[in-house]
Amino acid sequence: MELINAALVGVLMASSVYLMLSRNLVRFVLGLALLSHAANLLIFTGGGITSSITSRAADGATAESDSLAQALILTAIVISFSLFTFALVLAFRTYETLETVDTDAMRAAEPEPSGHPGRTDPSGRPS
Amino acid sequence: MEKASARVPLYSRLVVALPAGLFVWFASMVPSVAGGEAQFASIGWLPQLGVDLAFHVDGLGLLFALLITGVGTFILLYASEYMRGHPQVGRFTAFLVAFMLSMLGVVLSDNLIVLFVFWELTTLTSFLLIGYSHGDSAARRAALQSLIVTGAGALAMLAGFVLLGNAAGSYSLREMLAGDSDLAGHPAYVAMLVLVLAGAFTKSAQFPFHFWLPNAMAAPTPVSAYLHSATMVKAGVFLLARLNPVLGGTDEWGMTLTGFGAFTAVYSAAVALTRTDLKQILAYTTLMALGVCVMFIGLPQSRGADEVPLGAVAAVAFVFVHALYKAPLFMVAGTIDHSAGTRDIRSLGGLRKAMPWSLLAAALAALSMSGVPPFAGFVGKEILYSSAIGSTYGVAATAAIVTANAMIVSAALLVVAVPFLGQSPATRPTPHEGRWPMWIGSLVLGVAALGAGLFPRLAFEWLLLPAAGAVAGRQPHFEASLWHGFNLPFALSVVTLSAGALAYWQRNRLTGALGSALARLPVTGDSAYDWLMNGIARVSVVHTRIVQCGIQRRYLLIVFATLGASVLTTLVVKGVIAWPARIPDVSFVEWLLAILIAASALVTIRSHSRLMAIVALGVVGTGIALIFLLHGASDVAMTQLMVETLVVVIVAMVLLKLPGFRREVRQTGLGRWRDAIVSCVVGLTTTLVLLAVTAEPSHRRLTEYFQKTAVPEGFGANVVNVILVDFRGLDTLGEISVLALAAVSAYTLINWRPRRSARAAARSKAFPEAEGAAKPETLS
Amino acid sequence: MMDLVFTANDFHVLKPAVVLCLFGCGILLSDAFLVRRTGKRWLNAVTALVGEAIVALVVLQHLSDVRAGGAFSGLSGSIVIDGFGVFFNIIFVLSGALAVILSVRYMEAEGEHRGEYYALVLFAQAGMSIMATGNDLVVLFVALETMALSFYVMVGFLRRSKRSNEAAMKYLILGAFSSGLLAYGFSILYGIAGSTSIEAIGTAVAERPDGDWVTTLALITTSVGLFFKISAVPFHMWAPDVYEGAPTPTAAYVSVASKAASFALMIRIFLSAYGSAAESWMPLLAGIALITMTVGNLAAVTQSNLKRLLAYSSVAHAGYILLGLVAANDAGLRGIAIYILAYVFMNYGAFALIAALRRDGEAAEEIDDLNGLAGRAPGYTILVAIFMLSLAGIPPMAGFYGKYYIFLGLLREGYYVLAVFAALYVAVAAYYYFRIIRACWLTGSGDKPAALDLGLGTRVALVGSGVLTVVIGVLPQRFLALAGESVLLALR
Repeated sequence: MELINAALVGVLMASSVYLMLSRNLVRFVLGLALLSHAANLLIFTGGGITSSITSRAADGATAESDSLAQALILTAIVISFSLFTFALVLAFRTYETLETVDTDAMRAAEPEPSGHPGRTDPSGRPS
Repeated sequence: MEKASARVPLYSRLVVALPAGLFVWFASMVPSVAGGEAQFASIGWLPQLGVDLAFHVDGLGLLFALLITGVGTFILLYASEYMRGHPQVGRFTAFLVAFMLSMLGVVLSDNLIVLFVFWELTTLTSFLLIGYSHGDSAARRAALQSLIVTGAGALAMLAGFVLLGNAAGSYSLREMLAGDSDLAGHPAYVAMLVLVLAGAFTKSAQFPFHFWLPNAMAAPTPVSAYLHSATMVKAGVFLLARLNPVLGGTDEWGMTLTGFGAFTAVYSAAVALTRTDLKQILAYTTLMALGVCVMFIGLPQSRGADEVPLGAVAAVAFVFVHALYKAPLFMVAGTIDHSAGTRDIRSLGGLRKAMPWSLLAAALAALSMSGVPPFAGFVGKEILYSSAIGSTYGVAATAAIVTANAMIVSAALLVVAVPFLGQSPATRPTPHEGRWPMWIGSLVLGVAALGAGLFPRLAFEWLLLPAAGAVAGRQPHFEASLWHGFNLPFALSVVTLSAGALAYWQRNRLTGALGSALARLPVTGDSAYDWLMNGIARVSVVHTRIVQCGIQRRYLLIVFATLGASVLTTLVVKGVIAWPARIPDVSFVEWLLAILIAASALVTIRSHSRLMAIVALGVVGTGIALIFLLHGASDVAMTQLMVETLVVVIVAMVLLKLPGFRREVRQTGLGRWRDAIVSCVVGLTTTLVLLAVTAEPSHRRLTEYFQKTAVPEGFGANVVNVILVDFRGLDTLGEISVLALAAVSAYTLINWRPRRSARAAARSKAFPEAEGAAKPETLS
Repeated sequence: MMDLVFTANDFHVLKPAVVLCLFGCGILLSDAFLVRRTGKRWLNAVTALVGEAIVALVVLQHLSDVRAGGAFSGLSGSIVIDGFGVFFNIIFVLSGALAVILSVRYMEAEGEHRGEYYALVLFAQAGMSIMATGNDLVVLFVALETMALSFYVMVGFLRRSKRSNEAAMKYLILGAFSSGLLAYGFSILYGIAGSTSIEAIGTAVAERPDGDWVTTLALITTSVGLFFKISAVPFHMWAPDVYEGAPTPTAAYVSVASKAASFALMIRIFLSAYGSAAESWMPLLAGIALITMTVGNLAAVTQSNLKRLLAYSSVAHAGYILLGLVAANDAGLRGIAIYILAYVFMNYGAFALIAALRRDGEAAEEIDDLNGLAGRAPGYTILVAIFMLSLAGIPPMAGFYGKYYIFLGLLREGYYVLAVFAALYVAVAAYYYFRIIRACWLTGSGDKPAALDLGLGTRVALVGSGVLTVVIGVLPQRFLALAGESVLLALR
């Protein structure tokens, strides 16, 4: 069970990283959503899971999913939701302003080689 | 550049008194030092480091101090005239004096670290002096080149000093020389040797670091005469001489010094003959002299240890002789340049009538340089020969030194005979003799060379033997005299002189042959330096283009790749990859869910339709909610389901307003593979870490605490809820605030329309490339 | 359980951060209600400087307490005031004050002179103050984030400049990643020890078997998080973009203070928490330090923008400082302290000159913009030379001693190759620093030359930094003693 969940976390993680490395801002945002899923499942699995038993203290159950991890995931879900919404709006605004979702085009630092990097002072260089 | 009418500022004449005064002061120490009493003075500076401003005047230091101040006196006098009318004489003089003082610091320091500091100061002042004509790009390049080469060497030398100090237990040279710690047997001896030699060889321009010295001739002539003949370049020789008793005496020391010195001497003497610029010829003969000094400091003597340390005597004598002839020759070269307007021997000749005093000075110096009796050069050469003959490498060393000296004789003739005695070219403006400050110094030094040759006992007893004693580590018993009779060294002297004269006579044929041989060398020091510097620049440009491209995505890629690779490596190396022996019992539903989620994740990646990607994302979220449910986390599952629904709705609303995937700029195939590999590594790493973590026993102290206290303290049976609203209620409040903040920010962002101020518009004009990426706004 | 009573001692150890936060809030309030009406924006800077002065007094009080009675702690041991923390607090006060002074003229010229900026300077410093004195993972993490968040905003403070916004964005995203990794590492450490106290973690790590993988995993993730903050390769990519885009005084603040604080945190964690696992982190740090020096120095060679050049050079400096931690002996750690102290003055000096360099009211940041400065402002050209020589590490400037001690530390531990590499890179560094000095003497190309626009505060700060750079270089005894005091206590 850990094995299958762990593998699933791996797949989700890989997919999210792949999406975040994409040039398209939209895909980046999708990657962010997948990342939070992966993280939640990771905490859940890492907290130790067993069989299907409710987390009721009154039952005096001994083996169950870590209730602390569950509480953490609940918080994480909500926070990642707000983060995701914000990122989505940010992407939307970026598109409105710049009219592109290509992240490579959104930069001012280090413009392409025609610009200054690598330009050197000829007198300082060996001739 | 100079106006003859311009007045010489008074201070540039008065400043001559400083070196002259110092010279007299040092000269007054000669009797006591020659008597074996070294002078010592110390001021505490950095007691934590064992570094004191300690100065120590012994025979070797005193000889160098006298040369520095003595030659310095005449150089400053010469410079006051040479730089007449130059707009920044003051700065020049200040640099020159600063250099002189730093150089004195080098030769008199007792503490290795202080010595290093002064050493770096000489590097810096020489940088300023070489690059003094900062309008000239050759001068700027030469200045930087000398700084880089000697600076890098000096830094290696510092590391060597620290090792040396650690091994000897003190940075004080006196204590090091007095102590008998067996450094040669120290495990780090070779490291020390290499590092210290790196400093000395770069400073004294030994092959293969010799190239900076001829380039440094771009400096004004007084600088060349002072720094690059008599003093600064001798600092390396000085250091070797100083450390000879500490580090010397081993095979490594002897072979390295002799080998590099001899090669430098022969090679540069040959190159000297192929040059036509007076200063270049002199520069290469200086290289030869440095090579000779280095060679003889290291030259192991084959005769018994109680014999005279002839190598040390020879090296010290040659330092002295060389300073006396080289400085005058440089000064004369500068005077010629000044009055005839060129330094190229092909267009010079017949200056004997116009410049009689310079001729006299140059002739005296050149005779000493050639080693003609009764000049000091002759005495020096005899000792060189007898030392070479008596060395372990007898024949080879003798052959090398005789060859080098013969070519030097020829070079001396080239420097003096051609410009003064040859035919005067008609096209040149009438040359004239420089004013007295320009030749008096050369004349005095030339006469001194004659005097030292006529009365060698005096020079040796008072100056050279105490210095040689410091080099050898014991007092040599040596009888100096001009005439030793008809022996092997004298025969070699005759051979040298005649071979030199022959070479001069056949100089056209010889230079042709030498020149074509040298042109065939595949690599020269200069081209290696260029290659290195260009290489650094290329690496820098490539790095900037690949790593520092300004693209966030690329930065993330590097971060992910590094992190994934390092964690994965750790896991593999530590052998914690624990693959379960058998696939555990997993119910059909769980399999189905896992496959469904994984497939949806892949669809999200691959889909060319936005709608499809959104739906797939929703499936992933719902699937995970179901996993939570399967494992009894019903609260989490509920929340996840609700949030997922909201996400899909919002995403669908916003995303459909963004451009579709069809027109997107996709990565190239290679880029996609690169991304895929990195993401797979990250995914795999996560899986492995997670498996390893679950295999470890976990701390559930907190969980148990919450479970125990949920009902009695939180009055709730649902532990998760109790934790959220009771135990960590403040955290939940914080969480709600984050949610609110995100909502407010999103709302603001959607409604915000930037106003472009006039100022920002002006900026975008000033930085067109900064704005180039953005298309003009149409929305506002 | 934790003692929940807030005692006078707790307040005493927290004083620097408390004062900074109070003044920060005070600036926000007075800016909103008083300063904006009068239009005298420099009042905010004055308030900030008063705050710095009070913090300085508090820190000196801490120093005398430590000298009298040794280290003491508060808040149930989660804050420790020792020579190490006090030393770094001195660094932060100096750099905070310099950042405030330099900002006045610059922000005025950029048209972004607002009170929040000074409040952020103080808030960031409050975070740094705790970073250097914290002794508990949670406290340290919160402090780090306080600092980082303030910096994210400060970097993007030039709202109308695209570069500034872009820099803030990059800094935020990469910074968030690094914080996440750091938090991950911290959580593993908590998992190992079941406590967040650094001492308890140190004991727990020592009890783990040698080369234990959990410790190594924690080590890697915390190091990666910290490598970001000190801009070590390969996590340095943000530095040049951020330095170029940020307001120049902020760039100086980030490069000096944020780096110093992160090093403080790093030294405490590596020596106290991971002290027993030294064999596993020493090669890691040595490798990273070597790559960092190589990339920083080589990349700086061809830069034509002064801020980018200094950014790469600061990457290289991070490599040198890391080497001090690699040596991890008295000389190495003393070297780090004196290095950072000298770095405050020389780097602020260099950035102050760039901040003041303007052409037609626009910031001039290219090396060529320095052309002809020697003729127009010879005094300031000498300052340029002093700062650059010191940055290159050439004696007798302040920058030399840090490098020297670090060499010494390395050689004593037998790292000959590292020491020689470090030494040779000084020569490469000299190459590009001398380019800057030389540019001052070259004549410019025709168009209007850039001029120095110096306020009184900047002048004082510049000359002060220059004088101190030389004084530390020539009479380093007292400064070395102070640095030594910081180290011995940190080593414990």
